[in-house]
Amino acid sequence: MIGDTPGQGLPWAKRVALWDAALAAVRGHLRAEGMREVSTPVRVAGVAVEPFIEPLTAPPGYLATSPEMVMKRLLCRGSGSIFQVSHVFRASEVGARHSEEFHLIEWYRLGAPLAVARRDVESLVDAAFVQAGRDPVASWSTFGVMDVVEATLGYALRGDEEADELARVSARCGLPLRVAGLDDPSPEVRRLAAWTAFFSEWSDAHLDPWLDERGGGVHVCDFPPALAALSELREVDGHVRAARFESFVDGVELANGYQELRDPAEQAARFAAVAGLRRAHGAPVLPVDEGFLADLRGFGLPACAGVALGLDRLLMLAVGADRLDQVSTALSVPGRRES
Amino acid sequence: MDVSDLRKNAKLEIDGQPYVVVDFQFVKPGKGQGLYKCKIKNMITGAVLDRTWRSGERLEAANVESRKMQYLYSTGDAFTFMDSETFEQVELAATIVGNDANFLLDNLDCDILFYNERPVGLSMSSHVVMEIVEAEPGVKGDTATGVTKQAKVSTGYEIQVPLFIKVGERVKIDTRTGAYVERVNN
Repeated sequence: MIGDTPGQGLPWAKRVALWDAALAAVRGHLRAEGMREVSTPVRVAGVAVEPFIEPLTAPPGYLATSPEMVMKRLLCRGSGSIFQVSHVFRASEVGARHSEEFHLIEWYRLGAPLAVARRDVESLVDAAFVQAGRDPVASWSTFGVMDVVEATLGYALRGDEEADELARVSARCGLPLRVAGLDDPSPEVRRLAAWTAFFSEWSDAHLDPWLDERGGGVHVCDFPPALAALSELREVDGHVRAARFESFVDGVELANGYQELRDPAEQAARFAAVAGLRRAHGAPVLPVDEGFLADLRGFGLPACAGVALGLDRLLMLAVGADRLDQVSTALSVPGRRES
Repeated sequence: MDVSDLRKNAKLEIDGQPYVVVDFQFVKPGKGQGLYKCKIKNMITGAVLDRTWRSGERLEAANVESRKMQYLYSTGDAFTFMDSETFEQVELAATIVGNDANFLLDNLDCDILFYNERPVGLSMSSHVVMEIVEAEPGVKGDTATGVTKQAKVSTGYEIQVPLFIKVGERVKIDTRTGAYVERVNN
């Protein structure tokens, strides 16, 4: 059994064997599914901007927070379905289940619907679990995120609430929104601020306990449009929803999947809203990845489903650990703080 | 200070009181706002509170001064330290010293923390050197799994050490994790 204090965990030789087997299993599975492995630069000129993800700087660029931009440019240029096991970096994310540097398995399947991408997640989880001697996940279920919101809050949100309405409802449900940007002049920024803060507060107070109670594998899908990130919008039962899912195992967030957004104008507008929210809460200004937008316009992104899955967390679950540092092979981490 | 600078042992001032972060949990939905869920201890009353901060918030660091002092003795409930220049002595309650007691050897130099002239805490150096007083004999051959064994140092603290460490040898210990670092040659 693995304890819950730092420093304890798998013996080092077992960690090496665990990672070796998992990397081979992941690559074997994705290759067998017809995807090519790519290796894209870790140091990049621009990152996929997010309201609350900060890149580490590597002048004159950044360390990639995700390989998404570069992999999508390869897709635009005819790569076909591709995958990558990449090192990614997110400043100041340090905790039992966060590390500034971690591994993302990222893959893009041409012409595939999200259901196929969800099955990929399930197959990779099973492959890693079996390699580590753990039984595969007994059952997976899929829920619409707004249905889970209703089940946990006892209040049905439509998903298209403007910032002030959402803030009022959320406060009434015991989740006051504490985020800058709720009074921004831009309605897009206000909406993004309110929904991002709502989702964060609701996840912590309601979704996490709900997932813990269910256990097993859960996909949460059909997000409200303000939380579409880089996914396409579509209509589900008369509501506009983002074609996006998040996958959880034993209550731990493992993967994020999108039906990838292909419209360059919509993409630029979403980047602008994120930049506006970052400005509102005082985050550093990040350059827009113009090369990515140019490729969306100039070549076009083929229809595809894309997923990012955290490999470190997957291995943590596979061996029954509850901290990343119990399975990591990092012997030292720059500036690591106690946690 | 920015909320992202929060960590265990950070000293904060809230409503005119000094607090130390005793437990710290960072949670964040991948695309969401980070939540810094902390247990903070009032450095004067010892009361522990739960507080959560969010990405983008700012905090005030507590103005805590430190003075070099030597550890003298313990009565079990309290630990006494002395300023070796002025011979002034101060006492810290065992609840404040906490697990650092495992590494308090007689005459050890420590930083005693003062808030408004009042001793409120202890800051140890990140590493201490201690003598092994008890250890199982090393077992040869089992290199695949059993690369460590249980040992005891002079304060009674028990620690995992490599098989080759013998009684009477001195080892360097990381006081933040409590873990063995290396053998120290005399």
